[in-house]
Amino acid sequence: MNTKRIISLAASLALVLSLSVGLTGCGDKTAQDDNQGEPAADSVKYTVGVCQLVQHDALDAATQGFIDALNEALPGQVEIVTKNASGDSANCSTIVNGFVSDNVDLIMANATPALTAAAAATKDIPILGTSITAYGVALDIDDFNGTVGGNISGTSDLADLEAQADMITEWFPEAKKVGLLFCSAEPNSLYQVEEVAKYLSAKGIESQQFAFTDTNDVASVTQSAADYADVIYAPTDNTAASNTEAIANVLVPAGVPVIAGEEGICKGCGVATLSISYYDLGATTGKMAAKILTGEADISEMPIEFTDATPKYNASMCETLGITPLDGYTAIED
Amino acid sequence: MSFLSSLMNALPGAAAQGLAWGIMAIGVYITFRILDVADLTVDGSLATGGAVCVMLIRGGVNPWLALLCAMLAGMLAGLVTGLFHTRCGIPAILAGILTQLALYSINLRIMDSKANQALSVDKYPLLLSQRYVRELSLNNPLPLLLIFTAAVIAALYWFFGTEKGSSLRATGANPNMARAQGINTNSNIVLGLMLSNGLVALSGALLAQYQGSSDINMGRGAIVIGLAAVIIGEVIFGKVFANFGLKLFAVSIGAIIYYIVLQVVLQLGLNTNDLKLITALIVAVFLAIPYWKSKMFRHTAQAKKGGSKNA
Repeated sequence: MNTKRIISLAASLALVLSLSVGLTGCGDKTAQDDNQGEPAADSVKYTVGVCQLVQHDALDAATQGFIDALNEALPGQVEIVTKNASGDSANCSTIVNGFVSDNVDLIMANATPALTAAAAATKDIPILGTSITAYGVALDIDDFNGTVGGNISGTSDLADLEAQADMITEWFPEAKKVGLLFCSAEPNSLYQVEEVAKYLSAKGIESQQFAFTDTNDVASVTQSAADYADVIYAPTDNTAASNTEAIANVLVPAGVPVIAGEEGICKGCGVATLSISYYDLGATTGKMAAKILTGEADISEMPIEFTDATPKYNASMCETLGITPLDGYTAIED
Repeated sequence: MSFLSSLMNALPGAAAQGLAWGIMAIGVYITFRILDVADLTVDGSLATGGAVCVMLIRGGVNPWLALLCAMLAGMLAGLVTGLFHTRCGIPAILAGILTQLALYSINLRIMDSKANQALSVDKYPLLLSQRYVRELSLNNPLPLLLIFTAAVIAALYWFFGTEKGSSLRATGANPNMARAQGINTNSNIVLGLMLSNGLVALSGALLAQYQGSSDINMGRGAIVIGLAAVIIGEVIFGKVFANFGLKLFAVSIGAIIYYIVLQVVLQLGLNTNDLKLITALIVAVFLAIPYWKSKMFRHTAQAKKGGSKNA
């Protein structure tokens, strides 16, 4: 009886191990494909761990920009390990734990939960955040002055919210009611929406929040927003970005235009946006990383960096809704 | 750096995460194994525990008191599921799903309508943090988590030995017989669900401190991790641990093994896009092992019988 148990136990362990090794084998190849310009092993001087929250166009672009800029600045000297938490914040802790135990030279945290997990895990290894909207909110810093200090810095995807509020009145001077459409599960959306509402009310424009919880109730929440509003504002919001078709299907028949916080949403269902490029944002982060690795800059003194926003409009949506684009805006390319 | 030494370095973190999730898994064990109810409330109540704890600590409340409040909030969630099930006649699975759904909105309300609330170890006197997991000091979260696990197991061991606890076990083992003995099975189911979700929320509160934030999505898929821990523990220690307390301990070890396997897979350089697939496969393998084992034993038993006949 005893030997049987041992045999079956050994068999089950062997199975799990072979399973994970087998799958890891497949994984390795793709991981290498991701890392463009994989350096030769003997010239590697630095190891950088990238923890990305979820598979998503904007976050993927930021990671890619980071990798490209870092490889350009320090060609062949950096080994970049990218890990994706698949949308599960508990996985961020596991991934970051791996980085800390490998004693990587720098951690790049892509999105807010990745950053908080990294901040909880280490006080010594430099951490650069990207795709973070508000560092003061994400890291719970009172009186945030633009520099985090300690071992944390990074880049922010916050577009100028006052400029976005101005954009609403420039495009639609007649608008009296603005619906603020966003997902309640996203840390940064509420912040943007509240800021925009503040600027709007200073202009004497009424606004109301319409939050959906996930993909399933986007259409019905959008419908009630359309019933209320003359114009809708959608901030930088991942769930909204994944559901632009559903939003457009409600808003186009209702004839309600959308001013969007980022290009992806504008391309799908918006009229105009002040857009930042996540690739550029990642690239800016990559350049910061290179300076930290070579010792050229001290992370505790590096302020949070931004990238410039470009005003853009959605040509086909303007045509559908009969809106003439304003000067100074460029059309979004397909 | 060699794979093994980096893995050894990663072990404390995996063990701490496993211990924290282990308390949640013990909660799942109460409903899934003792009460024989599949309770899906846990995906919501884990985040509730984290949310209550983080908001209270941010508000300046003592972390121990915050843990207690988180646990009470979780018990309240269990009470709702229990009442849905026993008083409204909603099947247990559906009752759990309904509460879980409702908890999304409630958790958002608790977290001041924000999806993520940070809790920095530099700013608040947290009981545990991932930062100190490799340090040899009193700040290390591992001893505290071990004490919590031991205390939870001891309390449950005592409780399930009392008259009330025994009647709860009877409710799960054979509800008809339990009713025939004059046991109010409905109130026992509610009690079991409250106990379970209280532990789950406690685990959520510990996890939120450990990872430095509470997140609206932190409980997503928790039930899978909980079941995985229960089953891994049973597969490996089922024959060795007969004592009830040891069985609960096995669940906790199951959670640790789950996180170590996950860490190994990640350290091996897996493409993390396959993470969910790996998770599902780990659980599926451990679920299948008892079945394969029983088949193998039947075969060998038959072979033996045949052998003795021939002889």
